[in-house]
Parts: sequence; structure tokens; C-alpha cells
Amino acid sequence: MTENKNIVEKISIKKLDFYYGNSRALKQVTLPLYQNMVTAFIGPSGCGKSTLLRVLNRMYDLYPNQHAEGEVLFEGENILVPGLDLNLLRARIGMVFQKPTPFPMTIYENISFGIKLYESLPKSEMDGRVEDSLRRAAIWDEVKDKLGQSGLSLSGGQQQRLCIARTVAIRPDVILFDEPCSALDPISTAKIEELIDELKSEYTIVIVTHNMQQAARVSEKTAFMYLGELIEFDDTSKMFTSPGDKRTQDYITGRFG
Amino acid sequence: MNALYRYRRTRNQVWMALSFISTIIGLGILTLILGGLFWKGISGFHSGLFTQMTPPPGGEGGLLNPIVGSLLMTFIGVLLGAPVGVMAGTYLAEYGDKSALASIVRFINDVLLSAPSIIIGLFVYQVMVAPLGHFSGFAGGVALALIVIPVVVRTTEDMLRLVPVPLREAASSLGMPRSFVIRKVVYRAARTGMVTGILLAVARVSGETAPLMFTALNNQFWSTDLSQPMASLPAVIFQFALSPYKDWQQLAWSGALLITLTVLTLSIVSRALTSSRT
Amino acid sequence: MPDHTVKSYDDDLMEIGRKIAEMGGIAESMLSNSITALVKGDTVLAQRVIATDPRLDALEREVEEKATLTIAKRQPMAIDLRAIVSAIRIASDLERIGDLAKNVGKRVVAIDGQFAPQKIVGGVVHISDLALDRMKRVLDAYAQSDDAAAMDVWRHDEEIDNLYNSLFRELLTYMMEDPRNIGFCAHLLFCAKNIERIGDHATNIAETIHYLITGEAISVDRPRASDAIIPLST
Repeated sequence: MTENKNIVEKISIKKLDFYYGNSRALKQVTLPLYQNMVTAFIGPSGCGKSTLLRVLNRMYDLYPNQHAEGEVLFEGENILVPGLDLNLLRARIGMVFQKPTPFPMTIYENISFGIKLYESLPKSEMDGRVEDSLRRAAIWDEVKDKLGQSGLSLSGGQQQRLCIARTVAIRPDVILFDEPCSALDPISTAKIEELIDELKSEYTIVIVTHNMQQAARVSEKTAFMYLGELIEFDDTSKMFTSPGDKRTQDYITGRFG
Repeated sequence: MNALYRYRRTRNQVWMALSFISTIIGLGILTLILGGLFWKGISGFHSGLFTQMTPPPGGEGGLLNPIVGSLLMTFIGVLLGAPVGVMAGTYLAEYGDKSALASIVRFINDVLLSAPSIIIGLFVYQVMVAPLGHFSGFAGGVALALIVIPVVVRTTEDMLRLVPVPLREAASSLGMPRSFVIRKVVYRAARTGMVTGILLAVARVSGETAPLMFTALNNQFWSTDLSQPMASLPAVIFQFALSPYKDWQQLAWSGALLITLTVLTLSIVSRALTSSRT
Repeated sequence: MPDHTVKSYDDDLMEIGRKIAEMGGIAESMLSNSITALVKGDTVLAQRVIATDPRLDALEREVEEKATLTIAKRQPMAIDLRAIVSAIRIASDLERIGDLAKNVGKRVVAIDGQFAPQKIVGGVVHISDLALDRMKRVLDAYAQSDDAAAMDVWRHDEEIDNLYNSLFRELLTYMMEDPRNIGFCAHLLFCAKNIERIGDHATNIAETIHYLITGEAISVDRPRASDAIIPLST
């Protein structure tokens, strides 16, 4: 797997520290994220995995008293520098959340809304774009006859795929998944996992998950975090059969605390 | 064990009985008031009530001019108050949050919310009526706006806070500017709640008498001129109810019923709006 | 290693471990009994060895079932996953060892009453002692999770192979010396082959133990005598 010749380091996290006020939530995290690969962040609650994910699109900037130190290079450019256009950054690094968050508007508008922010397309092109996005998120067949209905009328699993379609629609380079299946039933979860597997051919994907089997199933690389530190980062196949660090082993075999 | 159980059961029955009686008393008084109001008010309902002016004592007449006046001034009050209230509420929920300014604004808003309405009337009298030298419908509208604002600020802030944080983050994660997120996503999600807040504010001001006494005063005649004194239902009820004339008293009853029905309708509509939100 | 948060998970793993230990004990005694029966021409003991085998087969099935169920229930990871996979593999090796010992027992019954000079049997006893020693050591290595001990067994598989080759030549010589020996010696040859293969299974178990402890499969070929299988050049 690692012998793949075209490995591109899409994002390089270098000596990243993160603070909520004065409390340090991430400690000197250094980690590469590779293009066309799924990287999973695992670890117990409060270990900093979601925090790390939220640094990547600077979601933390929405809140006062949170700041990051160190470097996060996205295609070689440090995205932590002040004055960076966050909206442009977020359009390139999309995010899907734990609970499905469809906007209170129609299914069609949910998709077209994000596109309209950056492009003005004629109606026919917009229709094509919406359909394409819904197809990529493997939900087109389920919603094609009810594009005018509210996004909130869909089931939880469908809502989550709608959110993925919405993210895909604005054509990002990277998609961040923050526990995307924790509110879904097993069938919906399987559909999302299948989708992630398909999406990785075009995007760089990072997924935070509490479900270790899920990490084992969907990812190529796994990072184990504990108490704000990156404990181990390796091929997923290695991490789940013979991890190098005892803490990783204890965590993934269910021997923690 | 049996003794303890019996003791508890008896205690339970006593408290249940007390609660039941209190409920009966409360509901009974309410029924008496509403029943009396309906009984006395409904008999004065006739076709002329909505088409004729307030009459001189002993004459035939209706409540057209105070109804129109009330509607006009309430409209002005909401027109002026709601936008200010919505924007201030938005500031508190979305931008100010826990900042010092937001805390101060929130505190003052709470004070304003519970301020006696007569003080608001006096205030508007002082800044608008006295300098201009005459009462006016517009001043009445301004006074009502001052009552609308704190209600709308409070409900807007509460309703915006109910919008889940991940929805805002999801919108931001698409690369949406903050103001866009608020206007296009958060407002939409909170829309029914915010409308409910405005309806409640309307219900609140439609029964206000005191602030109008000092601002719009009253007017026996038809007038839609906002720079002139203007009739309003509460003011007319106040005046007619205290009069010695039987037909004026009857009109006061009918007006009171009208206001009560309006407030009741607004409350029911706003309740229906909030509960239909799923 | 700290226990699992879910205590019954530990119980599941321990039960599998216990069954493996029991299988090891049975396989060991089957081997030693079958050799004793061979040396003494004791058909009763040989029958007993044959009768023990179903118990070993049943245990192997139990280990497999328990392991499958544990995988389904717990989705084991890392060391636990390796422990379960290893248990399945070791159970299968032990079951094969039992089969081979049973085969020796059957031959003892078959050659009952035939001429059996002790000097001919001596070589087989020697190789079976060596195989028994391998088995003991590898089972101890498993019980104590001792990678070094397991690797030691693995490295010395060659000895049994070499011994088998010389035994092969020796038995050929006996057969050529006196054709009356042929039937008996042919049986002995198969017994020796069985024991040599028991040694191979012990080596397999050693490899499994190495994987269990380190998480890495042994990539180099096991050291073995180059012509253990077809020593017909003599």
C-alpha cells in the first residue's frame, strides 16, 4: 500500500499546539495527510481528535479564545497565518458533521445554496451540478422526485448524504468527516462508508470516528491520539493488527482505563 | 410499613385535593371574567360597531375610529420596534454573546421589559409631545414601539440560541460569510419562533392604555392623520367605561371583548406556530 | 496487560486458551503413548491412543466455534485478534498431531505379533523423543508467550529432519538385509514419517507464536534438510 508511487502529501501538520483559552488541547502534533487516501483519527473522548480536525478548516476561528500555534501546510501554504481568507479556505476544505445538518430549505436549495456563493451558473448548469453532486453522494435515486421538498423531510441517513452532496457540490479538495455515522443506523452507516470509499479517488479524506471497526474498514492511514498528543500514526492495516505503542494497543483492544 | 404507606397516601390525597381546589379557583375566576365579558360584550355587537364612529352620549354609534387608530398605531409600533428588536436580538445571540456590551444590553433590555408602561408613555410625552406642543398618533406608535422592542429582543435572542450550533458551523464550513450564515440559514431555521415573538409583542401592546394616554390621547372623531391626536380602543374603553352613560358603557364592554378576542387569537396563532415546528 | 473493560471478553479469551492447553496435553500424551505402545508392542495402549483422538477433534471444533463467536461478538483488534487467529491455527496443528499419533497407534495394532527387534525400533524412539521435546517446549512457549523459546524450537526443526533421513537409510538397510523385515520396517518407516511431520507441526506452532507475540510473520524459509522428502539418492 505504501509503495504506491503517486503519494502526495496534501496537508502537513507540523508541531501544532492548540489552546482553548489557557488549556492546551493539542501538543506538538506532527502528521501528514495524503491525497486520495482516507486518514482516520481515533482516540478516547477528549483526546483532541475533533479539535485537530477543526483546525484543518479553521472552524475554531468562529469562537473567541481558541487559537493554534505551529504550522498546517495545505499544498505548501500555511493556513494558520492571520489574514487568510477563511471562506475561501473552507470552500476548499469541506466538512461533514456528526449530526446531519440540512439547511431549512428544499433539497435542491440545500445543494445550490453553497454553489451560488462562489459561482453564478445558469439554471440548466445548476440543475446538472445539483444532480451530479447528489449522484456522487449516492442519494440521487432517492430524492430525484422530491427535490422541492424540505431537506428536513429526509431520514437521518439521507440527510447525512445530502450534507455530503452539499459539501461535494462546491468542489473541495479535502473533505473532513467529524464522526459522520455516530447518529446513524448500521445500514445508513454502511452506505456512508461505501460513499467515503468512492470519494477518496477524488479527494483527500479525513475522518474522526469513535468506531474503531469503522476506522479499520474505511481508512488507509490511522492516527491514534491520546491526551492531546499524537501517539501513533501508521498504515491502518498495521495499526489494527500490531500497533507499535502499548497505549494504542490498549485502546483498540478495549483495555483502556 | 402499612402505617407509613397509609400516612403517605393520606398526605398525597390532601395535597392533590388542595391543588385541585386551587386550580378550580383559578379557572373559575378566569371563566367568570371571560364569561362576564362575553355576556356583556356580545350583546353590544351589531353591524354598526365596525362601521360607525364613536357616538356622543345617547347617540347611536360604533367603534370604527378607535379600531382603525389602534390598528394604525400598533402597525407603526411593530414597524419601528420589530426591526430594531430583531437586530438587537441578533447582536446578542450571534455577535455579542458573553461580551461586556452584550451583558449590559441584555440587562437594560430586561429592565425595559418589566418597566411600567406608564413610564414609557411619560417618556415619549417628554421627548415628542411636549416639544411639539400637541398629542399625535405617531407619538402613540413610538410609545408602542418602545414596548415592542424589548419583547422582540428577548424572543429573537432566545429563538436564535435554539438554532443548533452545528447548523451554523455547517454553513460556515461551506465558506459562507458570517452575515450570510445568519441571514440565510439561522433566520430561516428560527423563522417561526421569531414571528411568534413579534405576534406576542403585538398582543402585548394591543391592550396598552397608559402609554397612549400621554401620547396619542384620544379622538372623538374620524382621523387617520398621524400628527393629530388619535383614538384607540383601550383609551376609548377607559373613557367610556367611566362615563355615566349606559350606551357608552355598552360600547366599552364590546371594545374590551374585541381586544380580548384579538389577544386570544394572536396567542393561539403563535402557539400553533411554535408547536408545528418540528 | 490490563484487563478488558468488558470482563466477559477476558473470560472468552481465557476459555480459548484453556482449551488449547488441554489439546496440547492430550496431543502430547497421545504421541508418547503411541511410541510406548510401539516399543512394547502394547496393542491395548495403542487402542487407547486411537480412542483418545475424537476428544481432540471435538476440542478443535470447540476452539473454532468459540473463536468464531468471539470474533463476531467482540470484533477483536491487535493482540486479541492475533490471539484468536493463533488459537485457531494452533488448534488445527494439534489436531493434526493427534491424527498422526493415532496413525502410529493403528500401525502398532496392524503389526501386532510381528518380529520386532529392539535395535530396529531404537531409531524411531530417538526421533520421537526429539519430537516430544519440541512439542513440550513449543507448548510452554505458548503458555508463557515466550517468543525466544518459540524461535528456538523453530530454528532446530532441522535436527528432526536430519534424524529422519538417517533413520530412513537405516531402515532401508534392514529391509535389504532380511526381506522378512520388510513389512515391519515399512510400518516403522511410516511411523517415523508421522513423527517427523509432528515435528513440522511443532515448528508451525512456533511460527504462530512468533506472529502472536510480535505481529510479524516469519518471512524467511524454515531451516530444513534439503532432501528430507525424497532421500532416494542413496
